[in-house]
Amino acid sequence: MQDKFFHHTTQLFAFVVLAALVGILVSLTYEAWPSIKAFGPSFLWTNIWSVPDDKYGALAAIYGTVVTSVLALLIAVPISFGIALFLTETCPVWLRRPLGTAIELLAGIPSIVYGIWGLFVFAPLFADHIQPPLQALLGDVPVIGGWFSGPPIGVGILTASIVLSLMVIPFIASVMRDVFETVPHVLKESAYGLGCTTWEVARSVVLPYTRVGVIGGIMLGLGRALGETMAVTFVIGNANRINGSLFAPGTSIASTLANEFGEADPGLHIASLFELGLVLFIITFVVLAISRWLISRSMGSEGL
Amino acid sequence: MPDQVMPPDENIALQVRNLDFFYGDFKGLNNVNLDVANKKVTAFIGPSGCGKSTLLRTFNRMYDLYPGQRAEGQIIFHGKNLLDKSQDVNLVRAKIGMVFQKPTPFPMTIYENIAFGVRLYERMSKSAMDDRVEWALNKAALWGEVKDKLQQNGLSLSGGQQQRLCIARAVAVKPDIVLLDEPTSALDPISTAKIEELINELKSEYTIAIVTHNMQQAARVSDFTAFMYLGELIEFNETGTIFMQPVKKQTEDYITGRFG
Repeated sequence: MQDKFFHHTTQLFAFVVLAALVGILVSLTYEAWPSIKAFGPSFLWTNIWSVPDDKYGALAAIYGTVVTSVLALLIAVPISFGIALFLTETCPVWLRRPLGTAIELLAGIPSIVYGIWGLFVFAPLFADHIQPPLQALLGDVPVIGGWFSGPPIGVGILTASIVLSLMVIPFIASVMRDVFETVPHVLKESAYGLGCTTWEVARSVVLPYTRVGVIGGIMLGLGRALGETMAVTFVIGNANRINGSLFAPGTSIASTLANEFGEADPGLHIASLFELGLVLFIITFVVLAISRWLISRSMGSEGL
Repeated sequence: MPDQVMPPDENIALQVRNLDFFYGDFKGLNNVNLDVANKKVTAFIGPSGCGKSTLLRTFNRMYDLYPGQRAEGQIIFHGKNLLDKSQDVNLVRAKIGMVFQKPTPFPMTIYENIAFGVRLYERMSKSAMDDRVEWALNKAALWGEVKDKLQQNGLSLSGGQQQRLCIARAVAVKPDIVLLDEPTSALDPISTAKIEELINELKSEYTIAIVTHNMQQAARVSDFTAFMYLGELIEFNETGTIFMQPVKKQTEDYITGRFG
């Protein structure tokens, strides 16, 4: 009797979470409905965000979200790979736990702190000491030169990407470390036994063996980066337009929401913001679901 | 200890001198001295924990991977002490191959399992590599069974086949010595018989050191046998002598099954 009661109570709690998930999805859709009806699917690829004209399209925000997240991953993945390899392969034992803990703690720093640091410390340094040489070095190279054009003002797409990369490194690095630890010692010994260096073992045995889990970890980082709001809002510059330069200010879905919700007029503006939220919800939900699935598959079957 | 120059002896592949081994504070090997004969099979037997696997793992410095494990003394290989810090340990391991208790194919195709190790130290054309892969698989008596599925994952083979793949992989890099650490303990009797047959064929070209729990196996495949107990080398002699007329009482007790 008591057990039954306990079972039903806990079940109820668990279902509350599911209900919340569905509730959020339904209410987002409901609130976004005027915008969905007015703009149709072209909302997704229209590059306009004009409150005076009451016309809205998500392209600039989606562009900013995707570009900052992908750039953040390009920076964070190699660094996380290095961290995870160091922790599992070459780190002295006494350093392993403190270093691992420190990296996990990095994930616990509130994002607003990253934002403040990014805006007041990193952005000015970036504008003075990194952007000018980068521009001098790469500005004249065909094709990619355009990425580094424009005034070095500190805030912008690239700055947001770098701050984001710092924020996702702990997630990616700790998943990578966990899956690297699932590689059997004897398999690594076999590779060392052939005369492999640590790098050759990592590249040819550890990485293929844990491929699925590593991709899962990267997707987890991507999910975090896509939805990150405060830090990005601080450093991305908040200009609702697409500019080819990475130095230029831009916007992301999350930062548009954070900036405009407070003073949005009822009607299409609000509805469009809800639709942006819905788009972000769907993107991150799919990315996180895929990452969870990949990680659990990797942990379960040991990378076969 | 100064690196004294040993007279090169063509009949000896490894000279072990005053070898001590430590797991942290625990002494795993105590003053081991023996010669591993060239192109012969040397078996290491003894009860669990006697140090036979530990000894084998000093021969290719596998213990180096684990902090806290260290060896002192000398293991002379081609006139040099391979325990010296200055030795290129990767080169040592390329010359002294190892096969483990459990089959450990790499997560790649059968072909790549063989080619991978070869590519580390040799550059060769695709056709030369094809030849080398076929040669190594032949050496391991596996070619006939896998020649039509070289592009399949190595993990798709049976346990016995996987172990022969591991032997082929070790042989493919043309080492001087092959270390076998209980290579048949995870295999069924038929696969075991195949591996033993293989050891017999390989010894014409390679020096083989095998650790085994199975005394009959040591008697069947080896030319020399070392009996170890509690980190010490108790007795070392020709296999026939060890099994028929052991000098030490402990050896006799062990091979007659009175302990261990």
